Amino acid sequence: MGLFGSKDDKKKDKPKADFSNVQSGGSSTAPSPAIPAGKTYVVQKGDSLSKIAKREYGNANDWPRIFEANRDIIKDPDLIHPGQTLKIPSA
Amino acid sequence: MPFANRVLIPLLCIGLAVGAAACAKKAAETPSTTPAQLSVTGLDLGRSVGGDKRVTEKVSDFRPHDVIYASVLTSGASPNAVLRARWTFGDGQLVSESEQTIAPSGDAATEFHVSKPDGWPVGKYKVEVFLNGTPAQSKDFEVK
Repeated sequence: MGLFGSKDDKKKDKPKADFSNVQSGGSSTAPSPAIPAGKTYVVQKGDSLSKIAKREYGNANDWPRIFEANRDIIKDPDLIHPGQTLKIPSA
Repeated sequence: MPFANRVLIPLLCIGLAVGAAACAKKAAETPSTTPAQLSVTGLDLGRSVGGDKRVTEKVSDFRPHDVIYASVLTSGASPNAVLRARWTFGDGQLVSESEQTIAPSGDAATEFHVSKPDGWPVGKYKVEVFLNGTPAQSKDFEVK
């Protein structure tokens, strides 16, 4: 570190803004799906359908339920990507 | 060739040809009756929305105590689609993220809004909209 500190040190010192009390909402002119969609889950790095099924249903073998509900965005059940929003059918 | 065969065989051939043409026409017409695939056609920011869920006045600069609205315009139909709005501050700090599940049959508008009771920090912000997990549109704005 130099006498006046590096650029990175200055970056680290800058406090992050606090957004913990942000309130959000929304609405649409489009109707909601006729069949309740259940909840959704955004795929994280390292996730697999089995892991998600284990977390959501308590049983990794229930992964086909998630796969079937998301056939429109999942072509290969062994290949899901971080950032994908999956529909999780009700338990 | 007996008379019956001389008359019946050509008639049968004509019938098959007409039937095949009808099938081909029906197949060609099918795409035009399929509803257009859902897509995001616009993203507007403002301080309020009307009953049609569109912003009443488009702005890109906000004040610290504003409620910030993002109106997402979509076209096409889907029985089940997820719109997600992701709000970030500065170099990417997450502010808020929310979703709306919709089943539009044509043009539609979906609004997302965020507020902060103690006021927004001044600076640059961004809202990104995802359709079924795929980035669709984004817009930068500023709080002054």
